Amino acid sequence: MTHPKVRKQHFKTVKEIVKRANGKVVCSACIMGLGQFLYRQWAKGILYLLIQIAAICFFVFVGAEAIAGFFTLGTIESNAWYGIEGDNSVIMMLMGILAFIVLAIYLYFYYANIKDAYAMQCAVEQGKKPRTLKDEMRSMLDDKFYKTALFVPIIGVCIFNVLPIVFMILIAFTNYGPDVKPPVLIDWKGFESFIKVLTLGQFAPTFFKILLWNIVWAVLSTALNYFCGLGIALLYNKKCVRGKAFWRMFPILAYAVPGFITLLGFKFMFSYGGPINQMIVEAGGKAIGFLDLDAKWSARGIGLVVNCWLNIPSSMLLATGILSNMNRDLYEAAKIDGASAFKQFTAITLPFVVFATTPILISQFIANFNNFGIFYFLRGGGLIADGYFLASDTDLLINWLYNLSISNDYYSIGAAISIIIFLFTSAVSLAVYVLSPSYRQEDTYQ
Amino acid sequence: MNKFITAFSVHMAVILALIVSIGTVATLSKTQGEGAEKFTGELERNVTIRILENDTAIKQGYLKELLDAFNEAYAEYGIVAEDANMDQYSDLENDGPYGKGPDVLYQPNDQLMRYVPDRHILPLPVEELDCYEAVGQAAWDAYYTKVGANEYYFGVPVNVQGPLLYYRKDLLPENWQEEWDENDNEIPDMVESWNKLYEFSLERRQGNEKFGYMRSFLEPYFSVGYLYSYGGYSFGNNNTDPTDIGYSAGEAEKGGWVIRQLASAMNEWCIDDTITVNAYSKLGDGSYFATMTTPDVYTMFIDEMMKNGMTRAEAEENLVTAPIPMLPKSGDLTEEDPELIPSKMMGGVNGYAISSYTKAPNACLAFVDFATNYEMIKRRNELLGIAPARADVAQEIGGLSEVIQNNLEEGNIVIMPSIRENAQMWTPLQTLFTDLAKDPFRDADEMKYDSLDKIKAALERVDQQVYDAIHTLK
Repeated sequence: MTHPKVRKQHFKTVKEIVKRANGKVVCSACIMGLGQFLYRQWAKGILYLLIQIAAICFFVFVGAEAIAGFFTLGTIESNAWYGIEGDNSVIMMLMGILAFIVLAIYLYFYYANIKDAYAMQCAVEQGKKPRTLKDEMRSMLDDKFYKTALFVPIIGVCIFNVLPIVFMILIAFTNYGPDVKPPVLIDWKGFESFIKVLTLGQFAPTFFKILLWNIVWAVLSTALNYFCGLGIALLYNKKCVRGKAFWRMFPILAYAVPGFITLLGFKFMFSYGGPINQMIVEAGGKAIGFLDLDAKWSARGIGLVVNCWLNIPSSMLLATGILSNMNRDLYEAAKIDGASAFKQFTAITLPFVVFATTPILISQFIANFNNFGIFYFLRGGGLIADGYFLASDTDLLINWLYNLSISNDYYSIGAAISIIIFLFTSAVSLAVYVLSPSYRQEDTYQ
Repeated sequence: MNKFITAFSVHMAVILALIVSIGTVATLSKTQGEGAEKFTGELERNVTIRILENDTAIKQGYLKELLDAFNEAYAEYGIVAEDANMDQYSDLENDGPYGKGPDVLYQPNDQLMRYVPDRHILPLPVEELDCYEAVGQAAWDAYYTKVGANEYYFGVPVNVQGPLLYYRKDLLPENWQEEWDENDNEIPDMVESWNKLYEFSLERRQGNEKFGYMRSFLEPYFSVGYLYSYGGYSFGNNNTDPTDIGYSAGEAEKGGWVIRQLASAMNEWCIDDTITVNAYSKLGDGSYFATMTTPDVYTMFIDEMMKNGMTRAEAEENLVTAPIPMLPKSGDLTEEDPELIPSKMMGGVNGYAISSYTKAPNACLAFVDFATNYEMIKRRNELLGIAPARADVAQEIGGLSEVIQNNLEEGNIVIMPSIRENAQMWTPLQTLFTDLAKDPFRDADEMKYDSLDKIKAALERVDQQVYDAIHTLK
């Protein structure tokens, strides 16, 4: 987002241009580069003119049709039996988005062209020479180097990030689903998918039940991983612990094994034929369905524990690194003041560690909120709990999203849920970060 | 008006007019092209067609033999068939429209027929093919559908898939001919009737060490047959109507009762996929007497039996495959001298289809015709052990191929629904079967399915779940 000061400056410039533009600047507003030609800046003029010609060619040959296609999403259905090539709504939507991105880039250059012409007007009025292309190039390698350096990444971001994200968002406003997918033509349906998610008879209760469990899961798993990791790091940091490197090896080993292998291992361990049940049966007990249909809370509990197994090592490593930077004098001073070990932890260690790790904590919260693998691998999918629509009682929103969009092709509904997840997680992250000491007391530990 | 604003407005108006006018013209000028029939009977010359076969056919060398034979036979036309070199489960829906898919596909009927609504595979003039008369109607029906008023076949059946009972002959009681062969037909009663198999399983059970029949109920493919046997069905109108879900139809609850009883003769391993994972080794070491699975895993059992000290000849002698036993009409596995009815089991028909995106449909049709002729299907059976869909080959081979063929024609192999909506049936069914299998292991006061009425109600819930999954979001 543009900083308010910068935005104000832009607005001032535009207002000033509108008010003070001379005929040559007006020419540039009419045809890109014309003002530059009139100021005898041939190279810049040609460059801007070429941009305008390229843009017109793009819109004549591709862009205009792509933008029209974006609104219609196709008018002719293909029929492969007779070799009739029709429209592909998905491709048309993508091409439409691309055309809008090109349009936005064109408008940026158009604005730059006017601003440049106006800068020449100002320079001439002040009796200076207008900046040549060479001057501009030099500036691009010097004080405006950030623009040069960011130009290619921004194009990449537009194509590889913005385009898919905008595409996914737009899918939520269509009827893209199991019966409506290419070669069948897709239509725009406004907020229909959102209304279905939030109001539809069986659908809405499932959504809210899963959302509630998802929040509980994200908070619990993040807190457990974080504090257990910190606890182990503190323990390994104690002078009395011998062979620290040896003990540290175990969490690292758990960390090194690919997550899904660990999850499949745990699934086997807790299955009816797994070693845990074998031991229970051999001891005279009855096999327990730790992860089966009735196992709502035991499955959730196992999920939390297994998630700890997978994530505590990284929290531990993080905390170990931060603890090594602690000022030991603070503890000495606290001891002299008679602070107990717990008081030292809550007043010195915890604030320091939390301050340094809040952004990581937020990213862990988001990762846990969207933790797809844990219950997908532990329970193997394939269960529908009573009162749930295409979901089990351990599914998180991301698992439900997968069931709906990948397993059942409800793409528009899936996209609507993704947007809701995004809104929720971004609001929480932003609120937590803004309220955290990392943001509010940025200078405390500097 | 300010000169600058005028110039700016003119510029924007020109760009906007350009986009709107060209966009509108481009949209309005689009016209639907005229299509043409693809199967003209005239072979395309000097073309290469890409064949997608299953992995076993490639590994066992069958595909190479087939391609060599075809390429030699059609060399004069310059037609070359080659391995598409793609994953056997590759999805034509994703690849075909972009020109990446194979020209001819060999896949199960439910997979192939998923391509029909969006016209990814071509309707075939099957009556022109050599195999047309030789393949039974039940197998053809797996590829039949109506589009508007027209009736079409979209695939050519090659082999029939259906579950079989695998059992260890050497684990039969020594006196089985006296005690377990009431009808004196030299076939043990426990592989002819579920009641006897249940009785034998209870007799053989020794804690968690020895079992009779063992099979996880988790997989609907192997469990839904119990419902079919008593009148249940997946979709109405011959598995084509997704508005009619019928798992609770007829007396399907008796099928659920059978599952519950069979589970009680096993242990908790039948609730999750434990048995699916360990069936090969446990049958191999003699812990299990029998299990049910598809014909293509025969060698895995043999390998496990050899690991336990048998020679290949001994293993092949002792491992017997049999048709699925008969069920009691009452659904009660404890009934003495029950009236028996045939078991219906879910199955499938693998076959060839032709991609709508092929550039050489006539050459593809020639390939399909060649690959489904008598000699090639027989050779396929010899190399891959499949149960042929061609009745003439099945008859000549005899044995289980003939049994499976007959089961299909008699309706005891219920072909997996070929409509797209079948994707919605698996999870609700799996949930119910898991719950049913768990029931005997619950404490008495926690049992959910201790009467036929309760099972019926659960099946009706499954019907509703499948219906909702299909229709709620439409």
